Amino acid sequence: MGATHSPGMKFYVGVWIGLLCIAGVEVFVSFLGFPPHELLAILLILAFIEAGIGLLYFMHLKYERPILLWSFVLSVIFVLLMMNQIWPDAYRMVSLGRW
Amino acid sequence: MSESAAALPHMDGATMEPSPYGVKTKKLTIWLFIASDAVTFGAILFGYSYLRVGTPDWPHPFRFSPSILNGMVMTAVLLTSSLTMLSAVEAAKAGRKASCLKWLGATIFLGIAFATLHLREWFHMFDEGWGLARNPTGGPVMFGATFFSITGLHLMHVISGVIALIVIAIGYKTSWLDQDHVETTGLYWHFVDLVWMFVFPLVYLMNAAR
Repeated sequence: MGATHSPGMKFYVGVWIGLLCIAGVEVFVSFLGFPPHELLAILLILAFIEAGIGLLYFMHLKYERPILLWSFVLSVIFVLLMMNQIWPDAYRMVSLGRW
Repeated sequence: MSESAAALPHMDGATMEPSPYGVKTKKLTIWLFIASDAVTFGAILFGYSYLRVGTPDWPHPFRFSPSILNGMVMTAVLLTSSLTMLSAVEAAKAGRKASCLKWLGATIFLGIAFATLHLREWFHMFDEGWGLARNPTGGPVMFGATFFSITGLHLMHVISGVIALIVIAIGYKTSWLDQDHVETTGLYWHFVDLVWMFVFPLVYLMNAAR
């Protein structure tokens, strides 16, 4: 029962090197002088790529039944998307000036 | 009993339906915990982002050296601990107990190293005058409140994980616990690693001094 397939440690070492490289790219782009909103978008995309790789390979979701991936990951993404309703109020606060 | 019925799981003599997820109960439970904890971290990161966007003079206290450099080393340590954890799980699945315990020991060591580096960063910030409600630059105090809350929650998860790994290692060595326990603890450990993949860029890199 559950994931029995394992791609082997060589593959995992490759994934680990890839994740380290993505983290290195994150630091590099942080000092390239991007405006904050563009930097945030770049860093979030890279973080989600890292998380996706980690979930699929380190946490073996790729080798489990697809229903596990869809039921858990989609429900978490749905809740996180619902939290985005805070932004209009955050931008309203900026116009109020310092607290 | 037919052959197909014999393949189904049993409890107290009663035939049960197979799990729709195809995983054991303890693994499904840890996935439920991970999903709820992901939402907890999501909420706290959204709260931080809300305050950051809504505060015009948000501070950028992290210089490349020592803070960002320290964060890079912490990231590498945590990622490496995920690899050693994978080695422990693979060894447990193959029934290589001594190898599993060795890799669990390496993961515990790296977890302690991460916590030590984290606390060193905290004490460095305390020395500079930062605190939960203190900003040495005279700007908004919300930075300290959010920084120490988010990194503190993550640090608590790392310390809890190290304690869990020690318990699992002892239990697995004495055959009180089995390979499934190693695997479920591994899932928790990888999750702690994944959370750091968001904490480092959002809390450290977005607040780097340029």
